[in-house]
Amino acid sequence: MKKKIMVANRGEIALRIIRAIQELGHVAVAIYETPDNAALHIRVADEAVWIGDGPRKDYLNIAKIIKAARDHGVDAIHPGYGFLAENPDFAKACEEAGIIFIGPPHEVISKLGDKVTARNIMAAAGIPMVPGTENLPHGEEGLSEALAFAVRYGYPVMLKATAGGGGRGIRLIENDAQLKEQLPMARSEAKAAFNNDNVYLEKVIVKPKHVEVQIIADNFGNTVHLGTRDCSIQRRNQKLVEIAPSMIQDKKLLDDICATAVQAARASNYFNAGTVEFLVDKDYKFYFMEINTRVQVEHTVTEMISGIDIVRTQIKLALGRPLSFTQDDIRLRGHAIEMRINAEDPQNNFMPEGGKTVTVYRSPGGYGVRLDGFVYQGFTIPEVYDSLLVKLTVFGFTWNETVDRLRRCLRNYTIVGPKTTIPFYLNLVNDPDFQRGDFDTSYLETHPELFDYKDDPSEVNKLARLIAEIHFKKENKYAI
Amino acid sequence: MDRIVQGMHSSEILKRVREADGYFITNTARDLSQSDFKNRILLHTDLLAAEARERAGYFSLEITGGASVHVDILRKQVDPFLKLKLLREKMPHTMFQTLCRGVNLFGYRPYPQNVIRLTVREFAKYVDVWRVFDFMNHVPNMQAVFEEVQKAGKLLEPSICFSTGPEHTDEYYVGKVGEILAVTGPDISMCIKNHGGLGTPKRIGELVRAIRDKYPDLVIHYHGHNTDGNDIGRITAAVLNGANIVDAADHAFTGYFGPPPILSVIQTLKDYGHTAVGVDEAAVIETSGLLRGQRKDYEYFESQFKGFLPTVQIHKLPGGAMGSSFEQAVKGGFLNRMSEILHEELPKVQRELGNWWSVTPGSQILWTTAVSNVQSGERYGNCSGDLKNLLLGKYGPFPFYCPEDWIYEKAFGPDWRRIVEEQGGVMQIEDIDIEKERATLQERLGYEPTEQQLVTYLQHPNDAVDFFKFEEKFGKVYVLPPAIFFKRGGFALGEALEFNDHNGKGHIIEIGPVHRHEDGSTSIYLNVDHHQRVFIMPAEVKEEGAVKEVTLSKKEIQDLAKIGDMRAPFGANVCEVSVAVGQEVAVGDKLVVLEAMKMQTPMLAAVAGKVEKIAVKVGEAVKVGGKILKISCEADAAGQQK
Repeated sequence: MKKKIMVANRGEIALRIIRAIQELGHVAVAIYETPDNAALHIRVADEAVWIGDGPRKDYLNIAKIIKAARDHGVDAIHPGYGFLAENPDFAKACEEAGIIFIGPPHEVISKLGDKVTARNIMAAAGIPMVPGTENLPHGEEGLSEALAFAVRYGYPVMLKATAGGGGRGIRLIENDAQLKEQLPMARSEAKAAFNNDNVYLEKVIVKPKHVEVQIIADNFGNTVHLGTRDCSIQRRNQKLVEIAPSMIQDKKLLDDICATAVQAARASNYFNAGTVEFLVDKDYKFYFMEINTRVQVEHTVTEMISGIDIVRTQIKLALGRPLSFTQDDIRLRGHAIEMRINAEDPQNNFMPEGGKTVTVYRSPGGYGVRLDGFVYQGFTIPEVYDSLLVKLTVFGFTWNETVDRLRRCLRNYTIVGPKTTIPFYLNLVNDPDFQRGDFDTSYLETHPELFDYKDDPSEVNKLARLIAEIHFKKENKYAI
Repeated sequence: MDRIVQGMHSSEILKRVREADGYFITNTARDLSQSDFKNRILLHTDLLAAEARERAGYFSLEITGGASVHVDILRKQVDPFLKLKLLREKMPHTMFQTLCRGVNLFGYRPYPQNVIRLTVREFAKYVDVWRVFDFMNHVPNMQAVFEEVQKAGKLLEPSICFSTGPEHTDEYYVGKVGEILAVTGPDISMCIKNHGGLGTPKRIGELVRAIRDKYPDLVIHYHGHNTDGNDIGRITAAVLNGANIVDAADHAFTGYFGPPPILSVIQTLKDYGHTAVGVDEAAVIETSGLLRGQRKDYEYFESQFKGFLPTVQIHKLPGGAMGSSFEQAVKGGFLNRMSEILHEELPKVQRELGNWWSVTPGSQILWTTAVSNVQSGERYGNCSGDLKNLLLGKYGPFPFYCPEDWIYEKAFGPDWRRIVEEQGGVMQIEDIDIEKERATLQERLGYEPTEQQLVTYLQHPNDAVDFFKFEEKFGKVYVLPPAIFFKRGGFALGEALEFNDHNGKGHIIEIGPVHRHEDGSTSIYLNVDHHQRVFIMPAEVKEEGAVKEVTLSKKEIQDLAKIGDMRAPFGANVCEVSVAVGQEVAVGDKLVVLEAMKMQTPMLAAVAGKVEKIAVKVGEAVKVGGKILKISCEADAAGQQK
C-alpha cells in the first residue's frame, strides 16, 4: 500500500532517502527551513513543507516536525543522519503520534546513545572494550578515580562526554596536570552542549584504524552484517574518506569483528540498520567503540560491495517486513571508496566555503561511479549548514582498479565557485600509502604533503578566462 | 653547396659565405614586427609561417632580441625562451638571429657583467647569430657579449652603427671595423647597422666598398630600414660593392619603417646578375600567402601614419622607434607639433649632443629631450637622468665632440664642472648576487624558478614576475591567433573560437550571453568544449570618498621637496628605492629612481635629515604630485631655521 513518508533532513541524505521512497512507490514529503528554499531536495520530493526560518532550529524542532507530519498525513518519518536522527525523544514522539520512526525504538537509541550504558551492555556480553571508567563522580572523588585510571593504563587517556558523539565532547589528556585542569571544563562543556554533564575516561589507542560494521536487524529475530568499512581517514575526528571492505588482510580477524558486531547488536536488541564501530590497534586487537543508531554517511560503500540498498531495506523493515535475505545470501565483492567532496579549503584548515555560488558543476560518469549530492550549477551554498556537497563513491573489482577509477573521476570533476576538497583528494589518490591501502587515523597528520597543491585549472579553462576578459573589456588589456 | 644550417661551426659558416657565388638574405621578422607593428607580431603568426620560412633557405631568421624580449613578456604574454624552442621544433635548420644592445642587452641601460654573461649563455642555446651593437660605437661596451658568444661557439656579428653628417666618414667607419676586429679576431660577420635607413644608395655603396677594400675577406652584413622607401637601392648598392648578406622581410607584412620585401631584393639583384644563395623563391611567396590573412588582425598596431617618410634623413629616428613616436605624439596630444619636433628640434638636439647614432637607448634620449624642449618651452630645462648620465660619459666617451658647456650647466647647474669631475666616466656596474636574485624571485613566485625564468627576470624584474603570474592564471596564450588575442570590441554572440592548446589538444569556445547584475558585476557565459562556464567579472571599483586628486604645480613640488616632502615631478614607475626609513641623508643623496618612457631619473634629496617615511615600493606607479617619501629636516627637528 502506498505510504506517505517524510524525510526529516536536508542535503544529500534527504535526496538519497527520497529516491528510495519513490523507488518503493511511496510518496516522499520533504521539510525545509528558509535558507534551504532553493535546495534540490524540496524540488525532487512529492511534497515539501516549510517548517520555519531556522537555521538549524526547525530541523531540530520535534514538535514542529511532528505537527507538519500530522498535517500532511504522514505514515512514517526517516530521520537521515545528524539533526534528530539519534534523538530518542524524536523517536518517542513519532511513536506517540502514531507515526512510524524509521530506525530503532527510542529505548535502543537511548541506551546506546549513553556511552556508559552502552559499554556496560557490551561488557556484559563479553565484547572487547577499550579500558575505561564508569561515569566519573563529581568533585575530588572523580578526579582521584581518574588519576588512578591513568596510573593503571598510562597516558594518554581520552576524556569523553557520556552524551557526546560525532567527534564532539572528547579531549586528549597527556598528564596529571592536564587531567586536573580539563576535567571540570569538560564537565561544564558537556552540560552546555548535551545537557548532560557526565564524563568518563578511556585509554587511548595510539594510531588505531577505525573499522566499523554495517548491521541490519528485523523484528523477527534476524540480524545480519554487510561487512566492514574503514573510516580511518579523518580530520578533527570527522570522516573524509571511507572504504569497504577494510583493507586488513587477516580474513579471520575481519570475520571475528563482524561476528562481534552482530553479537553487540543482539545484546542491545537492535532493530533496523546500524553501525558498530571498532578501533583496531597496531597489534590487530580490536575494541568496541559505539553503535550508531542511524544510517551512516558512508553507507554507500557497503551498498556498492553488497548490492543491498540499505535505505530501501530500512524502510521495508520499519513498515513491518522481515529481512528478505539471510547472512548466507550476502556476497561481498570488490572494493568501494567514498570521498566526501566538501565546500572547504583544505589548505586553510578545512575552512568552510559556505555562501559561495557554484558557477560551474560538471560531474564524472561511467562504470562504477556513484554520486550522492544535492548541488547544481547556480546553487548558492547556504552558510548555515554543513559543507558536504556530494559524495563520490566508486566501485571496482580490485583495490587498484578502484583507486584508478577514483583518480579519473576526481580529474573529471569540475566545481567552480567554492573551494573544495577535490585537489586534496587528487593528492591523496596519488599517495603510495593510500594506494597500498595502508592508513590509520593518524594519516592526515603524518602526510602533510597532501596539502601541497595548487589550484590548477585546465589549460583550456585558463584560456577561456582570458577570452572572457577580452570579451568583457572589449580589448585585451594584457596586450595593449 | 649544402646550405648553411644551425649547429655549424662559425668558421664553417663564414667559409661558405665567403666562397658562395652570390649573396645571402636574413629574414628580419623581429625588426619588421618592431618597426611596423609595435613589436606585436605574435608567436602564433611566426609558427604559422615557420615551415615555409624554413624551406625558403635564409641565412638566418632574426626572431628575437631588440625590444622583443621585453614586449614578449609585457604585451604578447609569451615566454621568450619558449618562443625560440617552439620555433626551433618547426625550423630545425634555419639559424636564429638576435639583436643585442651590448652592455644594455635587450633593455635600455647597462647590466652587470655577470648578468650579461648568464643571459648570453642561456639565449645562446637557441640563438645562432648574435648581432651586437652599441649606440656610441664604444667597443668596450660590447666586449662581454663578444666573449660569451664566441665561448658558446655561435656566430658573432658585431655592428658599426651608421649615420650621416660631416663626421661620418669612410675613414671613421673603416677605423671602427679595425678596432672591432682587433678585439674579436677575423672569424666574425660585420654588420653595417643602418637602423635609420640613412644615406643614399651611393653613400652605402661607397662605405661597403671602403671596408671591402681594406678587409677583402671580411663577411659584411648590411642591415637597413625602408623608412624613406629607398632601402632596395641601398641594399643593391651594398651587394654590388661586396656585401655578403642583406636584411629584408616577408612582403605580406612589410610597412613603412621596417625592412623592405625580400622578393623585391631578389628580383632587383637578379637583374644585376647576383643570386640569392639557397633561397627558394616559391617558399618566399608561399610564406606571404600564409601570412597575408592575419595582417588585418594587427591593424591596430600599425602606424597611425601611413606612407614613407623621406624626412628621416633629417630627423634620423630609427625605424624601430617610428611607430612608438607617433603613438606617443597621439597619446600625449602633441601630434600638431610633430613637424617641429622631427624637422627642427630633433636635428638640433642631435647636433648639440654630439651627432652620434640615434638608436636605443640614444634614440630615446634624443627623442625625449627634443619633445621636452618643445613642450616645456625651455630647452634642456628638464634633463632626464639618462641624459645626465650621457653627459657624464656613463655610456662611453663622445665619439666626435662633446656638447657645449651651456648644456652641462642646464643639466647640472653652475657647479657642473665639479660634478662632471667627480661623477664623470664610464659607468661601472657592480656584479649582482645572482643567487640572491634567484631567492627573491622564488619568494615572489612561490616556487623555484627555472634558469630561463631567472634570466628573463634579470632583464625586466617586475614585468617578468607579472608575466609568470599571468601565465599561471591564463596559461600558454600564444596558441590564440591575433584575431582572438587582439580582438577589440568584443566577440559576436554565438561566435565559435577554435584553437589547439599548448599540448596540441583542440578546443572550441562559443561566446554566450553577457548578464549584468545589480551589484555591478557581470557574468560572461562561454561554452567551453560544449560545457557551459560562467566567468564573473567584478564591478569596476570606484573609490568612494577617495581624496580628490590634487595636481601640484612644478613649483609646489619643488617647494615641498625643500621641506622634506618629496613628490613625484612626473607620472612614473618607481624602479629603485635607495634609502631605508631611519637613514640619515645629505643634500644630493639619491633617494629613489623613477622611470618614465624608458628613461630613469634619480630623485635626489633637497634637504638633509632622516628618512621618516617611504610611501612607495619598487614597481609601483606614482602620479604627478604623488607622495614618494618624507625626510624630517634638521630645521624641523631643531625647531628653528639654520
